[in-house]
Amino acid sequence: MNITCNDRERIFLDGSPEEWAALEQHAARCAACAEEVRGWKALSMAAEEMRDYKEDSQLWAKIENSLRGGEQRRTAEHGFWERLTSSRENSLGWQTALAGALVVVLALSSVYVVLHRGMGDSGQSRLLKNSTLAEVERTERDYRQAIDQLAADAKPQLDSPATPLMASYKEKLIVLDGAIDELRTEAGRNPSNAHLRYQLLAMYQEKQLTLQEVLETKR
Amino acid sequence: MGTVGLTLRWEHRISSVAGEGGPGVQPSESAPQRNREQGVVAEDADLAAGCLAGDMRAFERLYQWQGARMRNLARNLLGSQTEAEDAVQDTFLKIQRGIGTFRGQSSFVTWTFRILVNTCHDLRRSRVRRKEQTRDDSRDAAPMPEPHAPVAHPSLRMALERALAQLTQHQRDVFLLYEVEGFRHAEIAATLEISETASKNTLFQAKKNLRSMLEPPRSAQAGAR
Repeated sequence: MNITCNDRERIFLDGSPEEWAALEQHAARCAACAEEVRGWKALSMAAEEMRDYKEDSQLWAKIENSLRGGEQRRTAEHGFWERLTSSRENSLGWQTALAGALVVVLALSSVYVVLHRGMGDSGQSRLLKNSTLAEVERTERDYRQAIDQLAADAKPQLDSPATPLMASYKEKLIVLDGAIDELRTEAGRNPSNAHLRYQLLAMYQEKQLTLQEVLETKR
Repeated sequence: MGTVGLTLRWEHRISSVAGEGGPGVQPSESAPQRNREQGVVAEDADLAAGCLAGDMRAFERLYQWQGARMRNLARNLLGSQTEAEDAVQDTFLKIQRGIGTFRGQSSFVTWTFRILVNTCHDLRRSRVRRKEQTRDDSRDAAPMPEPHAPVAHPSLRMALERALAQLTQHQRDVFLLYEVEGFRHAEIAATLEISETASKNTLFQAKKNLRSMLEPPRSAQAGAR
């Protein structure tokens, strides 16, 4: 293969092994090409100095921990519906009973609406306002009690957190409780403020999910 | 599509370091090498399936197989050991979250390195933003290398790191992937989502730039061709 100085850069860019061999032969007779080939190869040797492949098992421990945390979060997010729809314990009969209960609730609601349709406009709006507020407060109380029950179940695990993940759950719950207390105080001052109620609901839901994650971890 | 070269140690690919042929010259394939490459393809597919199934052992195998190289690349891209470890950890989390979107259009390992490179770029960008917010005096966004393991020629390494910081991000990526981590151009093309020709051209330009920065000016006579 006949190689000249003009071929050098092309071979640097994309030369075949044969072309490189021919360039090396040419460089043995050409000082300029010998210098260029040497400089080109020196970069590859210098790059070797940037390679440090030592083992680091501590990093894997951290990665594994965060991967397991991610897995638990995903499980907690999907766990409720999976349990509801696909668990073997939740048989078809159970699901039918749940559907039946929903139908009964819908029917009772319809009866309630029909019975109260005949009331006067002013009275209706005031009654609806008061009854809705009472309903919200009753539902919130029930919801809070259910979450308190969850909190009681999770308490042993949270009182003495065994893992950093559990410690972070505990901290998160403390922050959530603080936020819930503040919002409840605000809602007490302004009971008709729907925005505050929504915020409070979001906090309760977050607390519920966090407690579920704690209990999932326990399992 | 690059699949097999990823797991070959760089010595198998870059024969120039051993003094045979030129940089980037690949030895012709022997039967044992072909067998090894077939094994690598199977391992790659196996890992992808394991990670998709959420098998923690598959993630651990991926770390054992590619973790050191991922960490090394991230450190060279970011110039910081701590940030490199964060980037690798972040990459594994992104793999876990995004494995459902992996379609097998490139090798699984190529896909993981694409995530790693993008994660490193994101980290660098956020570092630049932080610097701007704190009105840092430093104008250069290039990585500031930290102390690392002892090497044979520390001054050579430092000089190269300084010179690399002057390259464009794209040139730096290609140089590190090819010359340091031992990827093939086909694999770099898949990782950076560019053509193989673009990878070759970028490496060529990167090396030309590095040479002009690292080598003392030559005499007029030596420079004349």
